[in-house]
Amino acid sequence: MQAIEYFEVECTEKAGGENYKQIANDVLLDHNMLRVVHKIHIYIDPKVPIFVAVGTLKKVTTIVKVGDIANVNPLEGKITLAISDETYLSQMLKVFWDRFGKDHVEQPDRFTVVLYNVPATAAEIEEIKIADPSQSLYKDLVYALRCICPEGFRVRSENFGAEKFSFVASEDLLTEPVLALVKEKFALMGETP
Amino acid sequence: MILVPITYKGGVYRHNEIIDLIEDLGGYIVQKHMIAQEVVLQCFVPKDDVELIRAIGKPLAGEVTDSPLVGTEIAVVSMSLEIHHLPHPSCDIAEYVRRLGAKSNMIGMARGVGKRIAGINDEERDVINEHDIAVFLLGNFETCIEKKMPVLLRGIEVPVVVCGGPDKEALERIVKPRVDGYVGNVGRFMHRTKESEELEKLDEIIDEITRVLSKRREEIAKDPLSVAPARLMDIIREKVPEIQYVTSPTPLTVQMAGLRVKLPYDTYADAVRKAEIEDGITIGGIADVEPSRMRDYIIVRVKPFSETNIVV
Repeated sequence: MQAIEYFEVECTEKAGGENYKQIANDVLLDHNMLRVVHKIHIYIDPKVPIFVAVGTLKKVTTIVKVGDIANVNPLEGKITLAISDETYLSQMLKVFWDRFGKDHVEQPDRFTVVLYNVPATAAEIEEIKIADPSQSLYKDLVYALRCICPEGFRVRSENFGAEKFSFVASEDLLTEPVLALVKEKFALMGETP
Repeated sequence: MILVPITYKGGVYRHNEIIDLIEDLGGYIVQKHMIAQEVVLQCFVPKDDVELIRAIGKPLAGEVTDSPLVGTEIAVVSMSLEIHHLPHPSCDIAEYVRRLGAKSNMIGMARGVGKRIAGINDEERDVINEHDIAVFLLGNFETCIEKKMPVLLRGIEVPVVVCGGPDKEALERIVKPRVDGYVGNVGRFMHRTKESEELEKLDEIIDEITRVLSKRREEIAKDPLSVAPARLMDIIREKVPEIQYVTSPTPLTVQMAGLRVKLPYDTYADAVRKAEIEDGITIGGIADVEPSRMRDYIIVRVKPFSETNIVV
């Protein structure tokens, strides 16, 4: 498992901060965000109340191809795919159905897909693109941060770029000084917003 | 005759003998679970006969354990039903008290979250008040708990145990008005309770609930109920046979001073009121039969001896 280079939770209440560090750790792990987040700094002040999460992202450019998740074995007019990672299985089936038609695609069990009489070689099938994880990255990251953030903090401001993100939430209206706070927290990590 | 709550766990083979024995001794079976080859009976039995049941159950691989929470209905109040509070810790705690014999209901508040915006509505308040005890599961910040508790406790009449992230001393200091029990260091968390220290925390919650409930039992004992709720359960089962067709896990939920009957109030309230206990004494005579705020159920609240001058 890849580790996050910088992971801090700053809170005006010591015990609460420690609990939130545990929560943030659990959520990022559960939502598979460790592969995405490079640095993260969370600041919570329940007295104001305000929740700020700022951080930088790793570059996720890998496009998932059939060859990444399955072993492709051609044999007498049919091509058998042994699935090693079923995360993208449904997307892969959808691509096959669109391209070859449902008559040519069969899934006899959970980890096997068989293609009959398809106009493609094993090497071509391995190169078929099935998913782009970076597309859903923003949605996943914001969802994870919403899970970490106290639930009552429903006024949110979410900023997300290719490399950096900031997430601010509060119970009350977000005012101008919030931007300065975001800048300050970025500076703690040695970054600029 | 003092009845004590116990759980009998044993094989299916000849378990009817144990049921007969408990009934012959004057005990009541509150819940019966048949899980594969195992039978779990949650019951009230006379204190002096516990050893007898243990001895008779032994050849049948039966095990008798004390279950202080049998015959209680506990409200586990979660600040919301969002992913933030479910399934951990709310479900973990609700499930844990269930293992010890209690009937727990989870109440997710509509607007329990936050600090300034937290609130409780009349339906939530009334539903909580229909239970024997309410366990409030709060968050991690002292500031929020301090600010929201006076609002959330408005109109709550049943004993309350508060669980929150700050330690017990801090909770005792900040929760106003004062409540009956406090368990610290159990705030919001996002993982399953499986480490030994987390399970110890769950045990601590059970201890606190048991302590508060025993205090309540003592209070009830000073002015005893006109009839034991477990006995009412048997009578309703006999006199209102429609209850047999209710598919809820506990069609009749026994509480410390009452009973929840899971039948529609409009149709069956009169039948429940008119059910005779003995010598012309009816349920309506010694208990209030009222509509419950939970669905369209009936809630029976048994009156104490001081109001009725009857004990049956």
